[in-house]
Amino acid sequence: MVPKNKVVITVTGIALIALFWIYWVSVNPMDEKAMVKFISVQEVLQSKNHERVRIGGIVADGSIILSSTNKLEVVFTLKEGDSFLPVEFIGTRPDLFKNGAEVIVEGLYQEGSFHADILQTKCASRYEGDLRDASFYNLDEIEI
Amino acid sequence: MTPVLGSVSLSLAAGFGILSIILLSLYIRSDDYRLFLAGRRMAIIVSVLVIIATLVLVKELITSNFDVDYVAHYTSIETPTVYKFTALWAGQSGSLLFWIFILSIYSLITIFQNRNRYHRMMPWVLCVILTVQLFFLILTNFITNPFEPTNADFIVANGLGLNPLLQNLTMAIHPPVLYLGFVGFTIPFAFTVAALLTNEKGSLWVRSIRRWSLVTWLALSSGIMLGGWWAYQELGWGGYWAWDPVENASFMPWLTGTAFLHSIIIQEKKNMLRVWNTILIMLTFALTIFGTFLTRSGVMSSVHSFTESSLGPIFLGFVAIIITVCAVLIFHGLPNLKSNKRIESLTSRESGFLFNNVVFVTMCFAVFWGTIFPVISEAVRGTKITVGPPFFNQVNVPIGLLLLMLTGVGPLLAWRRTSRSNFIKYFSIPIGLALIAAIVFLLSGFRGYVVISLMLSVFVVVAIVTEFKRGVQARMNRFGESSFVAFRTMVRKNRSRYGGYFVHLGIVLMFIGFTGQAFNLKKEFGLGINDREHLGNINFELKQLREEERPNHFAWISELLVTGKDGNNITTLRPEKRIYFHRDPNPDRRQPHSELDIYTTLKRDIYSVFSSIDTDNDIAFFQIMINPLVQFVWYGGYILVLGTLIALWPSKREKLLM
Repeated sequence: MVPKNKVVITVTGIALIALFWIYWVSVNPMDEKAMVKFISVQEVLQSKNHERVRIGGIVADGSIILSSTNKLEVVFTLKEGDSFLPVEFIGTRPDLFKNGAEVIVEGLYQEGSFHADILQTKCASRYEGDLRDASFYNLDEIEI
Repeated sequence: MTPVLGSVSLSLAAGFGILSIILLSLYIRSDDYRLFLAGRRMAIIVSVLVIIATLVLVKELITSNFDVDYVAHYTSIETPTVYKFTALWAGQSGSLLFWIFILSIYSLITIFQNRNRYHRMMPWVLCVILTVQLFFLILTNFITNPFEPTNADFIVANGLGLNPLLQNLTMAIHPPVLYLGFVGFTIPFAFTVAALLTNEKGSLWVRSIRRWSLVTWLALSSGIMLGGWWAYQELGWGGYWAWDPVENASFMPWLTGTAFLHSIIIQEKKNMLRVWNTILIMLTFALTIFGTFLTRSGVMSSVHSFTESSLGPIFLGFVAIIITVCAVLIFHGLPNLKSNKRIESLTSRESGFLFNNVVFVTMCFAVFWGTIFPVISEAVRGTKITVGPPFFNQVNVPIGLLLLMLTGVGPLLAWRRTSRSNFIKYFSIPIGLALIAAIVFLLSGFRGYVVISLMLSVFVVVAIVTEFKRGVQARMNRFGESSFVAFRTMVRKNRSRYGGYFVHLGIVLMFIGFTGQAFNLKKEFGLGINDREHLGNINFELKQLREEERPNHFAWISELLVTGKDGNNITTLRPEKRIYFHRDPNPDRRQPHSELDIYTTLKRDIYSVFSSIDTDNDIAFFQIMINPLVQFVWYGGYILVLGTLIALWPSKREKLLM
């Protein structure tokens, strides 16, 4: 065989195997957390099959309740548009988690409540704030 | 008054940029050298104007001129001066200005270095650089101008300030280092396009862009590692890499750039693989612009991204134009690019480089696929799918291990062809020792990828060490030098080769660190005073919990006594829970922050995060992680930097050329 072909065939072979591998992992991810559907709160409430999903929304004002026995346990209401969903989460909460925070949760919806095992917050609004809100730069609040 | 100087500089820069491109194009048509000189001077003016504009913005930031919207948004009177300065790249418009600032400095260096060289290529090189400058100038002039006045009908007394998370020196230098890398690929790209258009066949320019790419690559690698290190030290999730879209955005050009650095050697030495190199550098450049798009557009939700803006479509359009133009250029230049030399054998250094390239590009594609999969799936099937780290890990681990193997195989292969006897001679010891190591690891109870990774690490280290030894031995026998002198002279005589081997050793150390992740342990628990919990065979006891009010935050400081299984004292960890803006009357505006504490040894890190506190019952909640071998990643990084510096250090001959 001409050597040039050998090299071309080997390179093409490697590339094809690699492409197939990428395709195969996309279709058969080993871990259920590898590829997760991102759906709306509305869709979660209507869904019947209990597959792992990811949803986003705002923590409804005043809805955060910390468990009295375990401070790692929290229950809050996630609000997206006009839909509300109770969420349970046990674990370390991100520092920016608070009323009104924009959050993303991932987990399973079962018996009227969303059991999340991932809770992420989006960046604080403070730093993209509106300059007109004078309290944002009230000098008294911070002493250096 | 001065902000106007900044705006005007930016507008003038755009005007001069257009003028310069026109003059240079006229020169290319007419060959009147005066046109080239004029065009080049204009190009210098463009860069100088951009530098002036950047300095103006820096001045406004440092003097806290809150009449400029950008200054008011990203700094406040209280911001320490160093962070007032780094706020230059904290926001969108500032970071875009910073981007052209770096490109302008690069442009000036390129013009100066090549003032008497490449008279046919330089006009094209300048045109390409100017086009990129113009693109960013249009953005900063019309879409997001850093000198925009504050939109307020009152006097702004103070700005909003910089996020406390970003007030960290590593975080302050991570973006500019990364940018030095991102922007740097524009220059090799410009030369490649110019060579294509002028049908330049020499190899001198290849040598100069190889050095340039190496500097750029060093900056990109350091930037990526600094980001990982910062995330590990500050963010408190215990890792350094999360396959976030923006991390991927920096990793993809790194992969293609690394491939380019390898295969360009073949072009320099053998004038082969020219089509392939042209494609690689174009791809790398397009990926840097695409990366900026990912970071700036808000298309991907990511911890790094800025708020959504109109920049997305413009960037995507620019990427589309780059790809189209590049495709046309390659298609037209194909007959001239093709080399009449062929790779002679599968077991040659040349094909080793080629395989490494294929693997690098495949990995890049896997990362690209995972990154844009959510967008594709939403467009095609209407469902948005998020792709998490498990996907990237599953796809990339085998590909990465293949690369690890090649870092050992490549250096052992001979140019043109490795004879059977040499093959046996060079490979038998590394393979033998690797197999013995594999058996030892299997008997120690390790399984799966861990064994493969450690076995390959042994193989690569042995392969490279024997390469060093062989070189030293040869010099000792031939010149009667001592081993130290022989080693030094050998490295000096072929800096890029032996520097490269050091980089390979650094990569092996990093892989050992990555492998350690398989044994990570993690646990969350609450502790009252004198309560005790354990993770693995390590005990954690809360000794003390105290409060302290500091100048700009309030802190709860814990004291965790860490002991081993025999009760031997290991260390005391003091993670803190802090509240910034704690005096804000509105509790929702106070910002909690976990200041973590890490106990580091070569074998493992004990990583502690103070996650929350129950003040009624005095219970502190912790997240504890035990991360084996993480230090190897950082040590690998240092060696990688050291190796690259060895490769870059100019030899005497090169000093004369410069």
